[in-house]
Amino acid sequence: MTAATEATLTPAQTAGLIRRLTALADDEIVLAHRGGEWTGHAPILEEDIALANMAQDELGHAGLYLGLRAELDGSDADRLAFFRDADGYTCARFVELPRGDWALTMLRHFLYDTFEALWLEAATRSTYAPLAAVAAKAVREEKFHVQHTALWVERLALGTPESLRRLQAALAELWPHVGQLFQPVDGEAELTQAGLLPDLGAVQARWQDLVARHLHGKCGLTLPALPAEQAPRTVHTSHLAPLLAEMQAVARQHPDAEVW
Amino acid sequence: MTHPTLHPPTDTQWPRWEVFKQDAPGRPHQAVGTVHAGDPDHALLTARSVFVRRPAAVSLWCVREADLLTATPEELSTHPGLLDTPGEASIYQLAIKRTHKRSMTFVDVVGTAEATGPGDALRQAQAAHPDALAWLVFPDAAAVRTDDDPGTVDSWFAPAKEKTYKQQQFYGVIGRHIGELKRAGLMPGRAPTEEQP
Repeated sequence: MTAATEATLTPAQTAGLIRRLTALADDEIVLAHRGGEWTGHAPILEEDIALANMAQDELGHAGLYLGLRAELDGSDADRLAFFRDADGYTCARFVELPRGDWALTMLRHFLYDTFEALWLEAATRSTYAPLAAVAAKAVREEKFHVQHTALWVERLALGTPESLRRLQAALAELWPHVGQLFQPVDGEAELTQAGLLPDLGAVQARWQDLVARHLHGKCGLTLPALPAEQAPRTVHTSHLAPLLAEMQAVARQHPDAEVW
Repeated sequence: MTHPTLHPPTDTQWPRWEVFKQDAPGRPHQAVGTVHAGDPDHALLTARSVFVRRPAAVSLWCVREADLLTATPEELSTHPGLLDTPGEASIYQLAIKRTHKRSMTFVDVVGTAEATGPGDALRQAQAAHPDALAWLVFPDAAAVRTDDDPGTVDSWFAPAKEKTYKQQQFYGVIGRHIGELKRAGLMPGRAPTEEQP
């Protein structure tokens, strides 16, 4: 298979790629905002700094994905992030849920980071060279994120009865939504077949194995059953609109600002 | 009425760890600050997040505060008994603070020595570096370290090298810069004083 460039993509491939890159970026932006909400509130100063750093990394990844999209359709990352309503966002509900407690925060990041690290690792082999390059850059940071959040999940699970109770409750809240991360966007099957995007099914199988080994095998948590059906990425919880209203307030008040 | 706990524990913080960072191969590990963490792995991960965002690093050590022995010349003159601090005989890391001319209180690891205990290690550090502003010693085995695995190096340290950040000047100033106002003669002059020639 020869390497693809913007010029060799079919219109259908371009459209599918844009949908996937936007979904990834939207997940990152919203999760980063939830992470940022902890600034000044984390259980200890060092973790406050660590979580803010990881949120910045996730925003950086969103910038990379939207940069790839810009090469395809000339869109502007800031316009997409700050001037789209909830209707236009395509993030998974998983990242919209309120930040909850520390157990929910660390567990959500662990589940997401593991997905993203595996997806990026597979994406380094994309035949679309710009994506492969971005994935090679981002996957390094994501592997560190997984280590950090896996450690926290383990400490909370094996900590006190209270920390275990909170973690198990967080798992019950998050688990029904995780399947949305592996839901293909329109046209994704064709892109996977062409080697442009990772095979989501294969990523999910590896994710399921790693997550089960950590949460069940190492931490002794009980994994709930996964629901068979997932809502499409265009259907959001009631939590997204208020989040975006806060996140976009400054940009919308100063739409002509030239320096951020 | 009884008081079940007259003196409840007030310090609920996790242990403090001194963080030693190596900027490049061949450079000394330097004490750059501290983190609070529950265990060695947690200390290393937190140290990476707090101290390795930028600029570059290639290795991190964390040492629990309780495993460190430090002294300045002044402390040794008033508390010479520090040189008899008992402990395990083993290999000790010796570190010194060379200068005050740093914005941070960096301490460099300068080498190792076989010592009968922390006090003996401190004595050896003092003998080898009599002009140091401070000495710091700890058992080599007390340090928890990042490994040399390429995967660790790649995910812990490589990303920081490429990170840039915008200097404050990038954002400019609100209104007009003071220099611009001065050049335009719009800043009030300094009041004349009698000391002026």
